Amino acid sequence: MTTATNTVQANSESNVWEGGQAPFGVKYGKLMMWYFLLSDAFTFAAFLISYGAIRYTVGQDIWPEPNKVFEAFPLLGHGYPLLFVSLMTFILILSSVFMVRAVQEGHQMNKKGVILWLGFTIIGGIAFLSCQAWEWAHLIHNGMTMTSPITYEIGGHGSGAVFVGPLAFGQLFFTITGFHGFHVTTGVVINIIVFLNVVFGTYEKKKNYDMVEKVGLYWHFVDLVWVFVFLGFYLL
Amino acid sequence: MILSDQEYQMHKAAVWRATIILSVVTTVEVGIALLYDTFFHDSGFRMALAIFMILATLVKAYYIVAVFMHLKYERKAMAITILMPLMFLVWLLIALLMEGVSWHQMLGYFHG
Repeated sequence: MTTATNTVQANSESNVWEGGQAPFGVKYGKLMMWYFLLSDAFTFAAFLISYGAIRYTVGQDIWPEPNKVFEAFPLLGHGYPLLFVSLMTFILILSSVFMVRAVQEGHQMNKKGVILWLGFTIIGGIAFLSCQAWEWAHLIHNGMTMTSPITYEIGGHGSGAVFVGPLAFGQLFFTITGFHGFHVTTGVVINIIVFLNVVFGTYEKKKNYDMVEKVGLYWHFVDLVWVFVFLGFYLL
Repeated sequence: MILSDQEYQMHKAAVWRATIILSVVTTVEVGIALLYDTFFHDSGFRMALAIFMILATLVKAYYIVAVFMHLKYERKAMAITILMPLMFLVWLLIALLMEGVSWHQMLGYFHG
């Protein structure tokens, strides 16, 4: 199977790298988006692995438990461990699925389909960011910031005995989810720009929806990173 | 590239299948995390739990990269140039986690 639209099919391995054709069967822009994402993966990996190193340094026994830290839900109050962040995960996965559908409709040159699914993607991205804003506001309200440590009541809300965690927890949480949130934000902005271009028929005139595919790769990468952030901060 | 109707339907089906797998794996992860916290809180299976969570995450990562990002359908040479450099991260992970353990011991040494 090939996704190449502009390449001459290579006849033999020997002449594939001699110029004039795309050895990987993809256009330049898409290939470079992949390599950008590779470099971005290293940045995020450095963040998450540093998180692991600091967590081991501090020690498992005084590291906060995710079930105790992330247990609030808007309007419902306290005592719902991991529920809200699971919702955020589903929102981001669904948004990623909508994006795949937009890319597929782009391949079919179906402008209306792209508008529909890219629209849903953008709504999903904004919903995720809203959730993250609520979570940050909630944690900051509870006293966890870059300069003051996380605290929670050991036996659940209202039990009295207070656990004071390391300062590093909040710092790592805000920098890593913040850097991810920054990626989601730029993703939403680029999605909106591409959406407007679709609406105005820019890609229809160019006779290809490659830009939707490229921004799609970026969007899936944001989802991919979230899967690992979810692992590090909420599951382990 | 406009796909034939049959191919188009096949691609669509692959995406919905991946969606279901991702949702089920996430639900199972959260379910097990909560069950563990409720029933096995101080048992010695923390390492087993961590290994399960990491494997489940890798399954999710596979479906996102292979199906959503379409890498499964690209030429193998291209996929290799993207995936091979990530091997360095395995080294970084092992090295820094071991460093973390070592720092922890040194702190214990200094603080008594």
